[in-house]
Amino acid sequence: MSTPAASKVDLFKEHKSEYAQKKTPTFVEVGKAQYLAIDGEGAPGGEAFQAAIGAMYAMAYTIKMTSKKNGRDYVVCKLEGIWGADGDFDSSAPESCRWTLMIRTPEFIRSEELKGAAEKIAAKNDCPEAAHVELRSLREGKCVQILHVGPYEEEGPSINAMRAFCEREGVAFAGAHHEIYLSDPRRVEPAKLKTILRYPVY
Amino acid sequence: MSTFIMSARESTQLDYAERMREVLLHIQRELDHPMAPADLAEVACFAPHHFHRIFKGMVGETIMEHVRRLRLERAAWRLKFTDQSVTDIAFDAQYENLESLTRAFGKMFGVSPSAYRRAQRSISYPTVASSIHYAPDDNHGDFAFGCDADSGPNPPRIERQPDRPVVYVRHVGPYQECKGAWDTLMEYAAREGLIGPGAEMLGLCHDDPDVTPPEKIRYDACITTTAKVQPVGEIGTQIIPGGEYAIQRHRGPYESLEGAYRQLFGSVLPALGREPAPGACVEKYWNDPESTDPEDLETDVSVLIN
Repeated sequence: MSTPAASKVDLFKEHKSEYAQKKTPTFVEVGKAQYLAIDGEGAPGGEAFQAAIGAMYAMAYTIKMTSKKNGRDYVVCKLEGIWGADGDFDSSAPESCRWTLMIRTPEFIRSEELKGAAEKIAAKNDCPEAAHVELRSLREGKCVQILHVGPYEEEGPSINAMRAFCEREGVAFAGAHHEIYLSDPRRVEPAKLKTILRYPVY
Repeated sequence: MSTFIMSARESTQLDYAERMREVLLHIQRELDHPMAPADLAEVACFAPHHFHRIFKGMVGETIMEHVRRLRLERAAWRLKFTDQSVTDIAFDAQYENLESLTRAFGKMFGVSPSAYRRAQRSISYPTVASSIHYAPDDNHGDFAFGCDADSGPNPPRIERQPDRPVVYVRHVGPYQECKGAWDTLMEYAAREGLIGPGAEMLGLCHDDPDVTPPEKIRYDACITTTAKVQPVGEIGTQIIPGGEYAIQRHRGPYESLEGAYRQLFGSVLPALGREPAPGACVEKYWNDPESTDPEDLETDVSVLIN
């Protein structure tokens, strides 16, 4: 509710270059990062997806506040999503897609802390999904990235722009479609939604 | 008391503007006397709770600012158009002595009362949003009440809320210093597994910062929960009463939330013709202020309505 203490870890700010927000494609180098992650399948906005988002935020803030109490405070990062597994994500038909929701989390968070948080949440809430949230490390390396402003269903042109840019630069998509949600779709109108789109390349 | 309740009920549909006009005329007629806000509310059958907020929202100044300004404007008028002594004018304006009138007058008109009297200029009052000024004959023309009806991208709404059980920590002091209460609450909530998928972060504001001194303002940092919780130490439980709430969304830093209150009490309620119920105003926080830019923060300011 006020300005954060100077000592607080803020991974989004510390790794600013990895979250470049340009409306034209650009390359970024993404180092190893640890995330809270949960897997699922089905339409974005569907029941499974909503339950997973609820579980992710419940876990993220329970773990953060527990860590803060123990003297290690940090800022909870933005929600991210990885869609499909093989780079052939179709933004106009995501219903049948497999997804992984992620929130970047400091390296000092260990899986025991997740286990403790999930148990506490499950004891007081109807939230079996909390137990499915796990820690996962990812090193995406060289990636192409763009800031997409608009509805999720209209990501096609942004993806095409990244693909064309990669062809010009002599590289190709080499991993799954990765989205970093800068806006909250519950309150921001679709035309103004800001999303970073990212693909690993080789 | 019962007559008051009856008349308040009958007047519910009466135009807010008509009723506020009554209050303003009463103020102009009574400038010579001390004025109690509760009496002013009663003049036009406004319930005393939230009356300050309605007044500020519709008129653009607090009651005390308004009364003070009108007394000074009347002093200016009398300096210009009467032979009354400056000392008498000071007493009539409810100032204890000439020095305090001179100080207050200078702040508003930029000159001392006697210099104002000597100057060969026509009378000019300070510019105010409501365009309500002292007029010796009670003829005030049209008042401009409230903020713009156009509330832009965040139209007000009415929502029926169920009773909301919450766990809370009370903060007494300036709003800007409520972080400690939130830390205590959230650390407790994390330990007890209360930060569930549906948990809402709410603030209960029991006092109006225009009326209550900062060090006495009561604010409850709340998290909703359906779990059974035993109150312990600073951690309390309460139920935010259900019913119809008038809600105004605010986008921007918490420091500018006052604008949403003015909109809610000065424009939304008058437009609806609905009366606020007694009790705290409820704020709902949609974002994490640690990871959200202040200008992107979204907050719902709401009040239970009858």
